[in-house]
Amino acid sequence: MSSKEDILKKYRANVHERYDMPDLSDIKAVTYPDPLLQFMNMTKSVGGNAIEVEKGRDVNELIRELYPDAKEIASNLPEITIATRNPDDVGRARDLNGTDVGVVRGEFGVAENACVWIPQTMKEKAVMFISENLVILLPKSQIVNNMHEAYKHLSAPGGSPAGSTDDSAFDAYGYGTFISGPSKTADIAQVLVMGAQAARSATVLLLDE
Amino acid sequence: MSTQHSKAAKEFLKNQQYAHWHDATFWAVRTKRDNMAYGLDEWEQLREKASAIKRHTITHLDEYLDQFATAAEKNGVEVHWAKDAQEFNEIVYGILKNHNVKKMVKSKSMLTEECGMNPYLESKGIEVVETDLGERIIQLKGQAPSHIVMPAIHLNHDDVGELFEEKGISNEKGNHDPTFLTYRARLSLRNEFLTADAGMTGANFGIAETGDIVVCTNEGNADMSTSCPRLHIAAIGLEKIIPNYECLAVFQRMLCRAGTGQPTTTYTSHFRKARPTAHHMHIVLVDNGRSEWIGNPEHWESLKCIRCGSCMNTCPVYRRSGGYSYSYFIPGPIGINLGMLRDPQKHSGNVSACTLCLSCQTVCPVKLNLGDQIYQWRQQLDDLGTANPEKKMMCKGMSMLYGSPGLYNFGTGLAHWANYIPSPLMNCGLNPWAEGHKMMEFPKKPFHEMIKDYE
Repeated sequence: MSSKEDILKKYRANVHERYDMPDLSDIKAVTYPDPLLQFMNMTKSVGGNAIEVEKGRDVNELIRELYPDAKEIASNLPEITIATRNPDDVGRARDLNGTDVGVVRGEFGVAENACVWIPQTMKEKAVMFISENLVILLPKSQIVNNMHEAYKHLSAPGGSPAGSTDDSAFDAYGYGTFISGPSKTADIAQVLVMGAQAARSATVLLLDE
Repeated sequence: MSTQHSKAAKEFLKNQQYAHWHDATFWAVRTKRDNMAYGLDEWEQLREKASAIKRHTITHLDEYLDQFATAAEKNGVEVHWAKDAQEFNEIVYGILKNHNVKKMVKSKSMLTEECGMNPYLESKGIEVVETDLGERIIQLKGQAPSHIVMPAIHLNHDDVGELFEEKGISNEKGNHDPTFLTYRARLSLRNEFLTADAGMTGANFGIAETGDIVVCTNEGNADMSTSCPRLHIAAIGLEKIIPNYECLAVFQRMLCRAGTGQPTTTYTSHFRKARPTAHHMHIVLVDNGRSEWIGNPEHWESLKCIRCGSCMNTCPVYRRSGGYSYSYFIPGPIGINLGMLRDPQKHSGNVSACTLCLSCQTVCPVKLNLGDQIYQWRQQLDDLGTANPEKKMMCKGMSMLYGSPGLYNFGTGLAHWANYIPSPLMNCGLNPWAEGHKMMEFPKKPFHEMIKDYE
């Protein structure tokens, strides 16, 4: 008998009463009068940075202004013309090490905790973590209130809030992550330090599109 | 009459300054948790739902495990099943050997700790590098975690600074600033991520409907561990499977708020398939006692735990005795219960590490009745043969005393004469009450007499 059958057989012999699934439709989850404002405030409080980008402003210029010393910029987004590396083309994921700024696209933000959903849309997801600084482009119309709404969008075929993008990307690469602020730790004497193993800063550029 | 726990706690309390810091630090985490909980009107409703989802899920695990494995296999993931720790270790070693792995980076997993995986793999010549900063620190120190979420909480920044100097991670002698030390660890671990042949993660949740495993970290080390190496192995305990995203939303909202008082972890990562440039992804589902514990009529609900650590943060005994005072590798209220399920003979000493204040079950996000269960374990100590003989004798004496009113009245009438016994005779090692307590003064008249004066 395989271990799988063994385990399931033992479990079935031992489990006694079986309980029903509760109704989750009546959860009264928090909502905000201005989800965008809440998202921006929350981003700051988790150690990130959120900037509303004026219509017509060139994001390349803005990124240059934010990171004047950046030499290596990695992105596979067509509008990021200042990119010096492309996570689709690198030979090995580790070749992305030494990236000063990584630029990726987020699908939607979550007001309650500043999470941004970023499905993998590049060959090497390392760019989201290995870069010293992470810049996330996010349409500012795409902010949901809470994680219940967030996961509802991810379970529905067709993906994100306004249906403007679909989630086939997540399914194609099979990886996606919610990111809220920069990498952090308090493992040494409970002192909070930004920049543990992944990006040391995280900036969300909220785009008017 | 001290149990193993209280003897160990005595060691911890020798350094009063540190003991005070430990207590205050965890109370601060508890306060942060409260701020999060009070900040959401729906918090108590979420706890109810979380508890009910877990109750449902862990009593339908056969169905959900099957669904999870089928979905994961459809995603191209290889799913393995391990009956016990030994089989788990062998499966992991087998996969690593097939891919000729020399070095593996890994993110924090209590399950691999439970199975003793690191020493096993090291004995086979594989280098295992922990990448959660706290875990890395205690790995370098050759120690076990003293908390499930903050594993190196028993060390201060000087301890870590000296350790990093000794291991060549820090190059600036005497600079023990946590920001500096974290940066040095970042550089050292970055090199490990880039040169490892495999990455291992645990999992906070497995989603039956989609086959995703979900890993929550603040450091991003689970993501770093799986971004460069070409092999990803995920280790997951059976009880971590939940039905779908709708349920996940409830737990994602609670895990970090309850555990560390943050609104979320920095990263909530969904792993569904192997990276396009990697080998197959492997998931190892581990039983190691769980299919048996579900049958325990009083203690099966311990399987609801989502390992947030909030029960230890709030526990007055944990805060004042530290993780190493417990004999099981998971300390605090949940560790007391899981240790008893694992091996009651070995871990009975922990059940006395509880004041029955029930703070743990008041904060637990899945409403696990931790304190009630500890009380129930205590009732079984005599049957297990692990009851403390002195306490047992005392209980017999007390039931004799309280069972005969004549003897009781005679005794309380005479008690005040004990006040005249010279202190050195009373407050000595022969009187267990005097340890850590000042002997009380007995009133002249017992309560029964006093109350008559007011009638």
